[in-house]
Parts: sequence; C-alpha cells; structure tokens
Amino acid sequence: MDWADLIGRVASGGDREAFKRLFEHFAPRIKGLMLKAGCNAEEAEEIAQSTMIAVWRKAHQFDPATAGAAAWIFTIARNLRIDLFRRRMRADRLETGLELPDAPDQAEPADILISRGQDAARIASAIQQLSAEQSLVVRLSFIEERPHPEIARALGIPLGTVKSRIRLAMNRLRDILDEEA
Amino acid sequence: MTISHHPPEDLLADFAAGKLEEAHQLVVGVHVAGCPRCTRFVQAIEQLAGAALEDVAPVPIATDAFDRVMSRIHEAPKEAVAPALASDTDDDVPPALRKYRIGKRRRVAPGLSLRPIELSGQGQARAFLLRSAPGSRMLEHTHTGTELTLVLEGSFSHEGGHFGPGDFDYGDDEVEHRPIVGNEGPCLCLVAMTGDLRMNGFLGRLIGPFVRL
Repeated sequence: MDWADLIGRVASGGDREAFKRLFEHFAPRIKGLMLKAGCNAEEAEEIAQSTMIAVWRKAHQFDPATAGAAAWIFTIARNLRIDLFRRRMRADRLETGLELPDAPDQAEPADILISRGQDAARIASAIQQLSAEQSLVVRLSFIEERPHPEIARALGIPLGTVKSRIRLAMNRLRDILDEEA
Repeated sequence: MTISHHPPEDLLADFAAGKLEEAHQLVVGVHVAGCPRCTRFVQAIEQLAGAALEDVAPVPIATDAFDRVMSRIHEAPKEAVAPALASDTDDDVPPALRKYRIGKRRRVAPGLSLRPIELSGQGQARAFLLRSAPGSRMLEHTHTGTELTLVLEGSFSHEGGHFGPGDFDYGDDEVEHRPIVGNEGPCLCLVAMTGDLRMNGFLGRLIGPFVRL
C-alpha cells in the first residue's frame, strides 16, 4: 500500500476513503507502539485518535520526497505524547494545590522547527547498513523505551553487551551518515 | 557557522524518541534545528521509529474511534490562545524560544546574568539563558547533576575545547571546569541544568546561592 499516495489524497481533496484506510492501518499500530513505550491503554488510545486527527489536518505538510509516511506519523504521535504528558503534569500540580505561573500552553517543542533535509535517500541507505541486531537494540532501547536489563533478558545477552551494542550502533550510524556527506 | 561540538548520540536518539525531559528536549532541539549533521541523525532515528511503527503488533482501538475522529475533525478547530510571548525586539531571545515565556533578567554575579525559561514543570531540569560579559572568567565549578549548554552568541573555552555559536557542551558531575568567555562580545548560552552548581573558592561560595535557581 502506498501510504504517501493516500496522504496526498487526503491533502488535496479531503478523501475520506483514503483517510479511512490510513486510519485502519495506523491507528491500531500507534496504539500498540505507545503501549510498548509505557503509556496506559487510555493514553495510547487518545494518542492514536489525536494523531489521526493531526494526520488529516497536516496532510498538506507531508513531503513524500523526504520523510517516509510511517516516520512522519511517528513524529506526530511522539509530539502529541510529549504534549499530553506535559498537560497531565500541569493538571497534577493544580490538583495538589500548587501555585502555577501562567503556563506556556501548547508551547510547540523546538523539534517541530526542524526542517526536513534533502537527504532522505542517504538516511535510508545508512539505516540499511546497520545490522539487524543493531537496529533491534536501538528500537528496543529508544523507541519501545525498554530498560536495559529487560532488553538483556529479552535477547538473552549480558547487560554489558546491551550497553556496548547500543553504543556501537549509535556510533556506526553517525559514522555512516558522516561518510556519505 | 561551523559547529564542532555535538550532543552525544544517545542523547540525540532520546530526543528523536521524545524521551528527554522538557529542558533537555528544548536545548537539544535548538542545537539540532541549527545543525544539519544532527538533523540527519535525528531523522535516521525517526525512520527507525517509522519502521518500528509498521512492524508493531496492532492493538484494537475503540469501536467508535473512527467516527469520533471524523466528528472531531469536523468540529471547528478551537481558537488557540496565544501565549504571552517574548517581544520581537527582545534580541536576547532566539526565534526557537519565542513560544516560551521567559522571565526577567537577573544579575547573578558581576558580568553574569540569567533569564529563566518557564517550562510546564515536568522533570528535574531548569532551563535558562545565561549571558556573560566578554573576557570574563567563570568561576571554577563542578555540577551535582548534568548541564547541557548551547552557545547562541559569542564563545567560551575550557579544558574540553573552544565553543562557538551552535556548539553543544555536555557536562556532568565528573567535569570540573572553568570556562573563559571569548573577547569578541558577550556570550549568550541556552542552558538546561539539573542539580546545583558547586562553586569552588570563596567568591563561588558567596555567589553560589544566587546561581541556584
């Protein structure tokens, strides 16, 4: 399925059928990823729904030449999760009766300001050069946010190996990206 | 602008995954926004995250979720309340920070002033803009936590090298340093800090309480 094409149809004509296919594919996966990353079921559901609303509203901003559709949708879900946790933190503080300064509501995280570069192909090739075990350990550690001891148990390797493998994967990714400059 | 000091890779990966606390997310984000090299690294992690999203086992969502999403889409979007922003004439404030409320400038020592950045209250780290006069020698200090520093204007040097605009400096409790500000002009830095600064020496103990935010 060409997700980029469906996003383009949402952008140009508000195509409800195209959106529904995106929704049916991505909403349950966003929920799954958020649960793996430590959200509770209610939060994961809320982030999945809000992400899809943002996909509809921001479809015109999606540039198929730079970001993959799934990566783009991930960044939306990530930013919504950051916002949700900040709002919750603020609400918790209000409930406990603490005086709050006027909060910078909806302050857009600086990361949204990052402009997408022209080097999508280079990034894709760098990722392909990572070994499967390097990709896996990066995914478990940073994206699913599993603690290192849990990764060690899941992969059946010593804790020290988890740490060094993550470090090697990070350095290798940086090296490959730099080489191709 | 040649950037020669970058955040460590694991910090960039945590940034890409949205795992950092707010102050750190802010400082790393402003660096990344101005650094094509780190932008590529962050995008690579986002691509890995996209692949993870494609591979993850789907979890059933609420049966009425699609209808609720469609009706929320067709509601008029809520008027966003504009936060009180730093004014455009405020030349201390880089564009990336215009969405934040920034407190009044406080003098903390001769030639050293800071402006706190108001965050939502998540996390342990505070963020502030630190301005120091050209040629000033910062007091020798150590940290009880971590200090993330991004140079916005001017420069400083310490044992770890020379840091100019766009450069990122990561200090933790193992680092004991005494930065010297360059002579070309004031040095403006965006700083995220956990724990306290521990000033060494008599003058440090004197101003220490003021530096504690």
